[in-house]
Amino acid sequence: MISLFSFARQLQAERRKGCRRHLILLPLLFLSFQILWGFWQLSHASEEELRTGYVLLFHHLPIMNTLLLPMMVSVTASRLCDMEIKGDTLKLLYTMEKPATFFDCKYLAGLWYLLLFTLGQGLMILAFGQICHFEDALKWPMLFWHLAVTISVSSVLLSFQQTLSLLSASQLFPLFTGLAGCFLGLFSLFFPQKIARFFIWGYYSAFPVASMDWDASTRISHYYEVPFPLTDFLLFLIAAAAVYQLCKSIIVRKEV
Amino acid sequence: MKPVITTNNLTKRFGSKTIVDRLDLSVPDGSIYGFLGPNGAGKSTTIKLLLGLVKPTGGTMRLLDKEMNEKNRLAVLSQTGSLIEAPAYYGHLSGQENLKIICTLKNVPDSEIDRVLAIVRMEGQKHKKVRHYSLGMKQRLGLAAALIGNPRLLLLDEPTNGLDPAGIQEMRELICSLPTQYGITVLVSSHLLSEIDQMATHVGIIDKGQLIFQDTLSRLHEHSRSRLLLSTDNDEQAIKVLKEQGIPWEFNKGKLFLPFREDTMVINAVSSLVNSGIGILRLNEQQMSLEDIFLHLTGKKVSL
Repeated sequence: MISLFSFARQLQAERRKGCRRHLILLPLLFLSFQILWGFWQLSHASEEELRTGYVLLFHHLPIMNTLLLPMMVSVTASRLCDMEIKGDTLKLLYTMEKPATFFDCKYLAGLWYLLLFTLGQGLMILAFGQICHFEDALKWPMLFWHLAVTISVSSVLLSFQQTLSLLSASQLFPLFTGLAGCFLGLFSLFFPQKIARFFIWGYYSAFPVASMDWDASTRISHYYEVPFPLTDFLLFLIAAAAVYQLCKSIIVRKEV
Repeated sequence: MKPVITTNNLTKRFGSKTIVDRLDLSVPDGSIYGFLGPNGAGKSTTIKLLLGLVKPTGGTMRLLDKEMNEKNRLAVLSQTGSLIEAPAYYGHLSGQENLKIICTLKNVPDSEIDRVLAIVRMEGQKHKKVRHYSLGMKQRLGLAAALIGNPRLLLLDEPTNGLDPAGIQEMRELICSLPTQYGITVLVSSHLLSEIDQMATHVGIIDKGQLIFQDTLSRLHEHSRSRLLLSTDNDEQAIKVLKEQGIPWEFNKGKLFLPFREDTMVINAVSSLVNSGIGILRLNEQQMSLEDIFLHLTGKKVSL
């Protein structure tokens, strides 16, 4: 059993490795894009839509996350793992730390940036509410579950992308997987639910807190709150933990 | 001298291919142990086995008086430094920042950095990004990283690979100074006999995963004693005369050799040939190459 002190040291080493990689720019860049998109979206929204502005955002943001976050996660994982592959450092690191601990620390380093993005998105939602004067009151549980889904799905994608990046001599393949994931995730929203279940990239929209009715005759959209599918989400979290363990065991078993 | 590395029947198989075959290494304390063998003989795999980077198929290992297993691997390796194949580094960081990472992982103070940089003579380059280092500098940084924490044992896998002659000389001097100045036992692998010859006190020779020789360097020299290349105006006739006189000779790749150096035997051979009317053109002393030593030890040719 590894001591907490030893784990903290290895985490600190991971932080030192990230120096001058400018990884913080990644969540900032993707968040900036979402802010620009948000302003554009809300400036085109009708008064009726702005009346339920928060619900509108909770409906649209998962789709935006599906489109953008698989790419952000793959670039984050690639930037973090590429330095180990390029520098051929694993054979040195594994003489000082266990491969399993290395995987955990690397994962936490990546998760930090995903967490920053998620918190940033939370602040963005609050800021839009103030700036665009949404009439509906923010329901905190909706915000909480939206952010919980965002970070949970991203964290599963991170374990998958981190494994790919650590296994690949060239980062092209993991990056391409991330890009392909964006499109697959988006297309999966139009697939029957039974098939969509196989596309993890689309899970940002699989646990909705808001839905929409579209009236074709009046061309009016009506956004409304839906109960959060807690049981499905808990099952997803259990599967996420299993995916993480599976990815970790692949890296631990790989001899360097 | 007590061994700091002992392996017993150490074996590694990948599928049906045996890479390391029942290896019984014994590396004495305070020695520079030259681990010699052709490319693909199993040197790197053996070093990786010793570091626990690959798992053995069979056999046991003792490092620094402790049985090596998955549980105590990191504790044992905390007193060990290593440099495997190409140097490991983070190109986007400076030499000093690279070493800070090692210090953090080894739980030693950052003040160690200046000490190890002084040993490898790289104090002036510590703020430069490693991606801008030459291969020689990267290799010295790798050695500095291995020296952090003042290890008792150093495992170096082909540390002079790819270096220019000046870099090779510098690395060799550094390695030679380690046991005497810092009390470190060094296991260094190479496929070049000349290199091991200039550094090692003890030698282990591996071929196709099997240890075919292990002893002091002086004992190896007994196997690799030099011979004389004899050039005459009529080699055929010369062989006939040597045969008649019962003088040992070897004929290999169109060249005639006298496999001895003792003065009386040389005088006897030369005078016999001259008296038989054979002209001696040249008589040169030749050191046995690693290929020849392999041939001598195993009776098999090997391509290096």
